[in-house]
Amino acid sequence: MTGMLSFFGLIGRKTHLFFAEIARLQEIIQSFLYWALVAPVAGRRGLQREAFSRQLAFTGSDSFPIIALVTASIGAVLTLQAAYQLKQFGALIYTGGLVSVSMTRELGPVVTAIVIAGRVGASITAELGTMKVQEEVDALTTMGIPPVAYLVVPRILAIAIALPCLTMLGNVIGMFGGYVVGTLGLGINSSLYIQGSFNALVQKDILTGLVKSVVFSLLVGFIAVHEGFSVKGGAEGVGQATTRSVVLSIITIIVADCLLTAIFYYLFP
Amino acid sequence: MTSPVIRIANVHKMLGGRPILNGIDLEIYEGETMVIMGGSGCGKSTLLRTLIGLLTPEKGSVLIFDQDMASASEHEKNEIRKKFGMLFQGAALFNSLSVGENVALPLKEHTRLDPDIIKIIVKVKLELVGLTGFENFMPYQISGGMKKRVALARAIALDPKIIFYDEPGAGLDPITASMIDHLIMDLSKKLGITSVVVTHEMKSAFRIADRVAVLHKGKVVAFGTSSEIENSENPYVRQFINGEIDGPVSFRETKENYLKEILGDDFDER
Repeated sequence: MTGMLSFFGLIGRKTHLFFAEIARLQEIIQSFLYWALVAPVAGRRGLQREAFSRQLAFTGSDSFPIIALVTASIGAVLTLQAAYQLKQFGALIYTGGLVSVSMTRELGPVVTAIVIAGRVGASITAELGTMKVQEEVDALTTMGIPPVAYLVVPRILAIAIALPCLTMLGNVIGMFGGYVVGTLGLGINSSLYIQGSFNALVQKDILTGLVKSVVFSLLVGFIAVHEGFSVKGGAEGVGQATTRSVVLSIITIIVADCLLTAIFYYLFP
Repeated sequence: MTSPVIRIANVHKMLGGRPILNGIDLEIYEGETMVIMGGSGCGKSTLLRTLIGLLTPEKGSVLIFDQDMASASEHEKNEIRKKFGMLFQGAALFNSLSVGENVALPLKEHTRLDPDIIKIIVKVKLELVGLTGFENFMPYQISGGMKKRVALARAIALDPKIIFYDEPGAGLDPITASMIDHLIMDLSKKLGITSVVVTHEMKSAFRIADRVAVLHKGKVVAFGTSSEIENSENPYVRQFINGEIDGPVSFRETKENYLKEILGDDFDER
């Protein structure tokens, strides 16, 4: 009996916690919208230019080498795997198209978002969590500086701008990686490969990828900020929150990708 | 002493289902140094967080310059907050900013002053706390006592009328702690600043206080000038000052108390 009770108690408590967390996330999003969109227009408070450009450099240009490495490798692997199958049908010439379409629609956005979740999301959570633990967030509030305006807005805007840009660059680099392997490694004619790549690609592919990456950027950003602000209890709490932030980001990226792909498939055929 | 700048009336606050503040009444006058004293868990930190608007009380009012912090909107709270400074227990300097930038932050945020003028103000504020020429150091390069002094310089950046101090001597050696105490006294005398200090350190409390309020279980149990409190007959105050084990607060808890505390804590966790 007590076992049953404690079981239901556990479910109740977890549900309660879950909704409390959703409510806190909603609060952050609301005040983000206020400080990012309403306040600058109302003249209440402008954007933190300095902090914003620092975050943009950290999220964008500093992440570029890793993104380039990862997407180039993925493009190369994709080409090899595709060629392995296509060769059996004598359709090696379609390799370029396959790589370019799967890069822009799927792999580019997802892989870039996952790398950014690990690199930038984790650092946002750890930084904000440490600030929370060391009373720095309270200090901001006490100085009459809204923490969401000062800390959250520049970070989320930076990630929302940098991630789609990085995704586009990643797409190009991935295709280039495929091109190098396809022409040098598999001996496909260079101009035929390029032609194949771009003939298969339509505008919708690129737009799909772009929409996905914008959604992913907001997911990564808000999860990282929310986890950072929820930190309780010292260094251990910061570590746990950082892990949770990365894991949760990656899971939601993949689930959201699934949903978005379905939406694009059925609603915008 | 003229009119009260802070008026706390009948403040109640619950945290995690447990009452922490049970009807606090306190008036703090312009220019005085008020020390709020009490053992761990007596509610003094909660009271301080309520005063600066980090917590909202369930009942009662917190008037700062006749504006109620308890019922103010977030925007109004931010306006009130510009009129006071706060020194946090761990200094709470921003680690990504240099010492100078830390002190300059409230000025940059709340004024439209020229960067050159801000630089001069920062220099003056740092000089007031005895840290001339430390602008370009990073917080991790300076000692704990220096960090507190930088935090103090930051707290007085906007020339506030009130400064709140949370355990100013915590984690410092006796000499540095007494130096901080002298700074607090200096500031309140030189600049006429009202100081509200939360501490459990007797020596420091009696050194700086004009008046003392002793908190116990969320209530003000004793209140008066520092000599009145030092010679108080109140058994709790006596026990607290002398640091005795036996007295109204028992070190050896009864089983019921113990269970209550454990269950209470458990409840808190949820």
